[in-house]
Amino acid sequence: MEILMAWRNVWRNPRRTALTIMAIAFACLLLILMLSIQVGTYEVMINASVKTLTGHAQVIRQGYNLDRKIRQVVKTPGPIEEILSATPHVADFTPRANAFALLSSGRRTCAGMITGIDPEKEARISSVARTVRKGRFLDPADTNTAVIGQLLAKKLKIDVADELVVLGSAMDGSVAATALTVVGIFSSGMDEYDRRAIQMPLTHFQEIFAMRGGVHEIVISCDALGNVDKVTQTVASALSQNAPDAKLACLSWAELNPGLIQSIQMDLGGGIIFYAILLVMVAFSIMNTFVMAVFERTRELGTLMAMGARPGRLSKMLVLESGFLTLCGIILGVLAGCLLTLWLSRTGIPLGGAEGMMRQYGIPGELKPRLTLITAFAGPALVFLITILTALYPAFKVHRMTIVDAMRAV
Amino acid sequence: MKKTIFNWFIRGGTALVLLSSTALAGEPDPKAVIAKAWDYMRGKTSVSVLKMTVHRADWERTSVIKAWTKGRENSIFQIIAPKKDKGNGTLKIGRNMWTYNPKVNRVVKIPASMMSQSWMGSDFSNNDLSKADTILNDYTHEIEGTRTQDGIQIYEIKALPKPDAPVIWGMQKLKIREDGILLSQAFYDEDMNMVKVMVTTDIKMMGDRPFPVKWTMRSMDADSGEDYTLLEYNELQFDLPVQERLFTVNALKKPLR
Repeated sequence: MEILMAWRNVWRNPRRTALTIMAIAFACLLLILMLSIQVGTYEVMINASVKTLTGHAQVIRQGYNLDRKIRQVVKTPGPIEEILSATPHVADFTPRANAFALLSSGRRTCAGMITGIDPEKEARISSVARTVRKGRFLDPADTNTAVIGQLLAKKLKIDVADELVVLGSAMDGSVAATALTVVGIFSSGMDEYDRRAIQMPLTHFQEIFAMRGGVHEIVISCDALGNVDKVTQTVASALSQNAPDAKLACLSWAELNPGLIQSIQMDLGGGIIFYAILLVMVAFSIMNTFVMAVFERTRELGTLMAMGARPGRLSKMLVLESGFLTLCGIILGVLAGCLLTLWLSRTGIPLGGAEGMMRQYGIPGELKPRLTLITAFAGPALVFLITILTALYPAFKVHRMTIVDAMRAV
Repeated sequence: MKKTIFNWFIRGGTALVLLSSTALAGEPDPKAVIAKAWDYMRGKTSVSVLKMTVHRADWERTSVIKAWTKGRENSIFQIIAPKKDKGNGTLKIGRNMWTYNPKVNRVVKIPASMMSQSWMGSDFSNNDLSKADTILNDYTHEIEGTRTQDGIQIYEIKALPKPDAPVIWGMQKLKIREDGILLSQAFYDEDMNMVKVMVTTDIKMMGDRPFPVKWTMRSMDADSGEDYTLLEYNELQFDLPVQERLFTVNALKKPLR
């Protein structure tokens, strides 16, 4: 009975109802799209950073992520690689060694970070191999060759086939020096990395920097981002049990690159403020509709009460009315929002002028929103909650009505 | 009447001048004290053989370095031991610095941005080792105190960088004996926390003058608290004739005498 009455009441003023439904639907659509874009961006940021820099996780000597001193080594990578091969969810791993050194092209000299890598394994984990813009990536047969970041190459005025002199301090404190031939120039998209990084074969690096077979990082890539914590825990406990070296740690990408997490949190914080404002606006517009609906129907409600309807019943009817309205809006909004988001995630959103800024975070020139269950329903669920709450106020105002006054109202 | 007042004025003025000049005699110009110390350490020219020990909590390394200096500005170093590093050299002329490695047979000019970086993995920076005269030109100096130890006056000098000076320290504090021997030099960051400190000990006759044999540079920010670099002078001679062409990029490539 109430349901039928509520449904009919909703459509008594079709234009107003349509407008309210549109407002709710539009709010839902906006929430879904914005949240999906944010999540999509974070995923790209994390992937870019994980693929070029840290990997999903790393086994390092405790403190290396903070101090990055050349003596903080994983002395014997062998046993650790055995542990990693036996760990579930580990897709791949590769050793790396790093050193800060003076890089000189003959024309220019500047400081840079040189990384020794295993060309074959690295290509499976890192995106650097795929972002070589000129020349080629390192080859397993290479010795004194290097690939160099595009911005660093520009700074050094160096090109493919040129010679690059590296001067630094070896692990034993001696002078580490070598001349490398540049075979490739990469552009990972992370400007910060492309400005200072060069990569060379690990074996030659270990020789030059007197590493005695040691490495600095064993970079792990997991089968899925969600399994990273599981893997770090498993590896950490395996390390503490049969550790060849007690001072090793296994850290996830979030611990290795806290700046990334912080910038995501900051962005999310800004987003939440925006969503809150949006929700409040939606709430007020809906409240307006409902309050009006009750006020202009005061006489009608009074009549209903005079005919014996209890205020509880009337409240129930009014809440149902707002429920119908909201549900219609939300269903429409979710459908439109999901369709729009899916379509945009196919085509991508070109960034235009903001591209340069985004490149610093390793975001390519296109944004692809990512629709998940959370991004699709978190916003609409909040809208539903808020609208129902605002509808309660006029619905319970009925309780304070007296029949005589209500029937006399204009 | 007027004249007497004028006379008094003159006398008073003279007295003031006298007073201030005696104050000056008690507390000499701090910049002159530092300049004297720097000249004392380097002479007109100096030739020395140094043993450098880089000490870390779990590790230590010693190398032997031969060094020539001329005036305040020019110096050249060459590693003579261990064998692995033999022939590596550093040349400093004015504010410019070059380094040479025999293995790649290349001279590389050190960019200005790297001058404050560690020299050969030690606690000395490129600037420290070349004993750059930046302390004289880029800082304002003030004598904070003087005390007497074993009959010798020691000046404690506070040096603050001039407003536009291209220096990385927020403050330096020096202790210099009146005869020009530098006893300690402490480096502070902009928050006035001590970053590293150099202390000299074992004053002996070296060449023609008393000279501290051991120079220890300690980094304060090191976690272990026992990181230091020790320089020991094995041989030191002052004011030998040193040819100008020793301080050239070409000389860096040749094994020095």
